[in-house]
Amino acid sequence: MIAMTHAGYVAAGWLATFGLIGGYALSVLRRGRTLSRQVPPEERRWS
Amino acid sequence: MWRDATLVAGRDLRIEARSRVTLHQVAPFALLVLLLFGFALDPDRGVLERATPGLYWVTVLFSALLALARSAKLEEADGVRDALRLSALEPAGVFVGKTLAVAAELAALEVLLGIGVVILYGADPAEIGLLLTTCLAATVAVATTGTLYGALVSGLRVRETLLPLLLLPVLAPVLIGATRAFEAALAGTPADGWPWCGLLAVFAVLYSVAGALAYGTLLEGS
Amino acid sequence: MTATPTAGPAGGPPSPTSTPSRPEAHPGPASTGSRATRVIGLLALVAIGLLALYGLVISPADAEMADAVRLYYIHVPSAICLALGCFITTGASALWLRRRSAGWDALAEAGAEVALVFAAITLLTGSLWGRPTWGTYWTWDARLTSTAVLTALLVGYLALRRLDLDPDARSVRAAVLGLLLVPNFIVVNRSVEWWRSLHQESTLFRLDPAIEGDMLVAAMVGYLAFALVFTWLMIHRFRVAWLEQAADRVDLDAALAARRSEAQAPPSAPSAPTEPSEPSAAAPAAPVEPSGAATPTEVPSR
Repeated sequence: MIAMTHAGYVAAGWLATFGLIGGYALSVLRRGRTLSRQVPPEERRWS
Repeated sequence: MWRDATLVAGRDLRIEARSRVTLHQVAPFALLVLLLFGFALDPDRGVLERATPGLYWVTVLFSALLALARSAKLEEADGVRDALRLSALEPAGVFVGKTLAVAAELAALEVLLGIGVVILYGADPAEIGLLLTTCLAATVAVATTGTLYGALVSGLRVRETLLPLLLLPVLAPVLIGATRAFEAALAGTPADGWPWCGLLAVFAVLYSVAGALAYGTLLEGS
Repeated sequence: MTATPTAGPAGGPPSPTSTPSRPEAHPGPASTGSRATRVIGLLALVAIGLLALYGLVISPADAEMADAVRLYYIHVPSAICLALGCFITTGASALWLRRRSAGWDALAEAGAEVALVFAAITLLTGSLWGRPTWGTYWTWDARLTSTAVLTALLVGYLALRRLDLDPDARSVRAAVLGLLLVPNFIVVNRSVEWWRSLHQESTLFRLDPAIEGDMLVAAMVGYLAFALVFTWLMIHRFRVAWLEQAADRVDLDAALAARRSEAQAPPSAPSAPTEPSEPSAAAPAAPVEPSGAATPTEVPSR
């Protein structure tokens, strides 16, 4: 795998992709937690 | 509906005639942009001539943003919106009327810019038929789309920055089509240009319909 | 919003305190997660792992593009997720205009935001793929260019959604804009493709790799992984949008209750310390008056 051609581009692409997805996921989860505290339980009927 | 449209168009144009904003501010701005392009692209290197169609239409688009913002702002004056709702005017009619008024202003701008481009960039207007038809179709396309999107941002504090952001991507096909048509005309190969003119016409029709349908919803909902 | 956090003396609706001293006031899920999302999330992680295995290690390099093809395993599914998100936004906007139920509004917002994430990934991987293959980061080919315009459309839509407006007005405008999202993209895409097809060189670009064998497996795993990630993100983002609407309602209810209670407060009572400054409310002669002046407006004025 280290002997891959264009390793830099491939690595950059993969890292950026999953970094973006992961970062966004965390941001959504965090917003979810903050909002859950402000909202009465009748409005959040999932579990 | 047409009677309503005429009423609204008449009102918008009368306001313009009295305040002359398009004449005194938008038109000079448009010519200024043409000048700026001249500074940026160095008239001695032939780039200006080759790029003339694109520069022309970009200038038209930027000027249109100003004209459209102004058209939308007319509806925000105190009580105008409520007066519109209380009057029996059909929203589609209001939409068509405003579109016609803005289209008239844009057409005037385009003629002015056309003269500007002939003088400043040395453009040689060939195939006038294609040029004029393209202008007509593009004008309707920009006017209809712009009036609808103007209503989308009307009343918002950020409308000056939001309208360009929303409108310019949508108008990309108009820019592409109009520029290609003009290029064909100026190059003396109109056969290449007419299909693009067709694209503009289709776009204009699509947005006329969309705007007429959606304008009512926007008027009520805001 | 500066809604006062206590219920008035009239004992209005239960107050949505966020004070940590009363955690039992809000039982129920502490986040937007549920069993379904935990399962999907886990599967997604496994699929991503498999994708990395197949995409980076097991599958061979392409004959023409060498290892740059490994970016394709991300680029294509990402573009599909982008398209899905946009269709969801347009569809939900249409349904909202029809039925006006808040769930469609939330769905439209979620679809657009998730789509934007995948738009960024699509553009990034497309550009990074192009550089070693064709030598430039940007080739103005039809697909990438259309994607760039679509990204601008999404940014505009999300900008409109973030505006500080009366929620109903905002929803109407966003719905009209969202409804036009896919049609706009189709028109732009057709125009750009037609335009680029006039230039011969465009046929040299974008030769999609011939996918077979292990490469096919990697591609399939890619589709699966991204489908799972997309679903997970959509569910969570939808719930966040749902909660935001609920939080707005809660704030509004609390503000209304506070207003009502202060209008009904006995004239001789000293103003409660939590009430907003309202010197005129103490006037004994004042009947129940909707005092709009000093109270900060809870419904944001346009």
